[in-house]
Amino acid sequence: MDGDRITRKQFSAAILVSLLSPLLRLLPQTALGLAGRMAWLGALPALAPVAVLGLVLASFRAYMRPGEGMGGLLLRWLGPAAGRMVLCLFAGWFLFYGGFILRSGAERLVSTIYPSSGPLLFLLVTAGMCLAVSLGTLRAAARMAVILRAVLLGALAAVLVFSLPNMDASRLGPLGWSALPQAIPGALPFASVCAVAGCFSFLTGYVQPPKNRRWLLGTVLLLLGLGGALCLAVECVFGPALAATLTYPFFVMIRSISLLDLVPRIEAVVIAVWVGTDFLLCTMLLRCAHEALRPVFGCPPPDGQPMGALAGGRWLQWLEAGAVLGCGLLFDLPPWELRLWSDRYIPLMSDCVLYGGFLLLWLVTLPKRKTGR
Amino acid sequence: MKRAVIILYVSALLLTGGCASGLKSDRHDVERLLLIQTMGLDSRDGAVEMSVSSGLGPEDRPSLVMSAPASGIEDAIARLQNYSPENQLFYAHVQYLLLGEQAAREALQNVIDWVDRSPTLRMDTDMLVVKGRAKDAVVDTSEQATDITQRLASMDRQARSMGWTIYSLREVAAALAEGNGALCLAIETVPSDGRVFTEDKQSGAVVPAGYALLGQQGLVGFLDPEQALGAEILAGDPAGLLITVSGCTMEILGSSARIGGSFGPDGAPAGIDIQCRLQAGVLEKAAGPELAPEELDQALSDAAAAWVREAVAQAQALGCDALGLRQAVLDTEKAMAAWGGQWQERFPSLPVNVSVQGQVERSYDLAE
Repeated sequence: MDGDRITRKQFSAAILVSLLSPLLRLLPQTALGLAGRMAWLGALPALAPVAVLGLVLASFRAYMRPGEGMGGLLLRWLGPAAGRMVLCLFAGWFLFYGGFILRSGAERLVSTIYPSSGPLLFLLVTAGMCLAVSLGTLRAAARMAVILRAVLLGALAAVLVFSLPNMDASRLGPLGWSALPQAIPGALPFASVCAVAGCFSFLTGYVQPPKNRRWLLGTVLLLLGLGGALCLAVECVFGPALAATLTYPFFVMIRSISLLDLVPRIEAVVIAVWVGTDFLLCTMLLRCAHEALRPVFGCPPPDGQPMGALAGGRWLQWLEAGAVLGCGLLFDLPPWELRLWSDRYIPLMSDCVLYGGFLLLWLVTLPKRKTGR
Repeated sequence: MKRAVIILYVSALLLTGGCASGLKSDRHDVERLLLIQTMGLDSRDGAVEMSVSSGLGPEDRPSLVMSAPASGIEDAIARLQNYSPENQLFYAHVQYLLLGEQAAREALQNVIDWVDRSPTLRMDTDMLVVKGRAKDAVVDTSEQATDITQRLASMDRQARSMGWTIYSLREVAAALAEGNGALCLAIETVPSDGRVFTEDKQSGAVVPAGYALLGQQGLVGFLDPEQALGAEILAGDPAGLLITVSGCTMEILGSSARIGGSFGPDGAPAGIDIQCRLQAGVLEKAAGPELAPEELDQALSDAAAAWVREAVAQAQALGCDALGLRQAVLDTEKAMAAWGGQWQERFPSLPVNVSVQGQVERSYDLAE
């Protein structure tokens, strides 16, 4: 197992890249709807719930045995019946959420670049690729995350820099201390995005042991900073009122970028690059679901097993991929309903499962913690 | 298994690259693509009339100019495509969006919504309001050697170098969404006197004609060119504008505007105070009596104050604050929260106090 471990840097790259997917889905439009022009400051109040979740997850981590993830710990602490039920609930959410990510990613491609196409092809291809990568080792996926992180952060930085000429800070309106409380509701989407990192606690058995509790703090702060910068840029380009009405303000902003008239339009490239975030998040959710279900079905760790075989728990991975694809196909909704799911229902469900679920588990497992087991 | 994964990846690349024709993709045959560069929209009895121009093609291929009445914009696009079956009309590179006067009055919000939803048009497309019909500007200004896009591009360069601002659809939409009015450059077609034509047809030229004032419901009126000068001075960015004062043609070199408000005992806005500083340089002087430098400064100050006053008065008369006065007067969070909602009602009746301090540079050249 030690040889298959991924480094902390690779793990944080996987979290950052994966979370860029919900970040761009929720921000800035949801934050603008909740906090208006103060949406860009929503990252600050979001620090509080994110810190609580981080501390809860860190407290679980302290009791994990070497090579053990959240799945093994919960099964050990809650017992076979309750433990299996809880793990199945988490796995169910990961697969459902993965299906939604597949569908929303396909929908974004259709609505921004390929208006004459349907989402089915993109859904099938992405699901197939996610399955292929999840059948491989976690190290391969994590190494891919490191490359994707450089590409995506580079693309995001380029977009922000080339949008500078279109920005006008006066669109933010007069700023004063009295406006700061307006930013508090805007924390919800920021906190929802960061909560998705909680899924990755099921993979911590594959990660080098952290040196201290603050090892993911930089990643979370970078993510919140990126979210705030994104909101600020979109608000300065469109103004808060117009940005709140646009379907994908970030991508509309990209559509207006021209690289010194040498390259008139770059949105197709940027949006295509952004598929990488959906792809990685879905792959990681498949692995998280497998790590949750593996102890339930008594399957061995997948890394090192032959990829083409069905033995050694591989059958479970195929089933999980089928479930994700099935969920993606179930979200066959018109764009406005899909947006409603994206803006309201999915973040709400995600918050209930990740914030609510882990906090509840923390409370339930307090006696175990006191006995030091 | 690795071979299967490689085959899957290669298949994915082939299928999603946009070149596979059998998958209902947005495949465009480059040789048949016809880039539409100027789009004009008119409103006619609740319906629209769209006029497009492709711009001059390579090897002096003449511009394709078409117009189609339809029930809506998408319907018009479909009709225009039917008019030109040999080409695939492509709207991703539209540079200018012209709104006829009637369309700007009736369908402005509809156009903004349509561009937002359109996967091809960009919100940063330059928008112009045509005095009269957009169709006249698109169709009647095209001839063998030039077309509306070339004329607009030429006017665009000229107008920008002379200090006029060409606003994009995004800027207009952003201002309207914030509850303000918006300015948009107005143009008109005029007979191109003085040009020697080699053809029988004499097409018109396109020239700036002040600014259109756009409110929440659409076009509410125009600022004539002198009032537009006032709007530029208020915006604080009129550098390059050419003005004529007391027989002297001057170029504005720089300006600054401080806009503030006076408030009543209850904190309500009771007046608008505008203080501007303006620097101009003399380019030409017509024959006539010489003016002392102080007199020229005073003449510039008086003229500029009149332009600003007229611009604000016109905005007030039309009830459309497209000059950004609300943000400037209610410049604190508290004031905006308290009175921002009532600004629209109070704005037309607020007294305006304008003072301009003009300074003519290089006036010693004039005296010599």
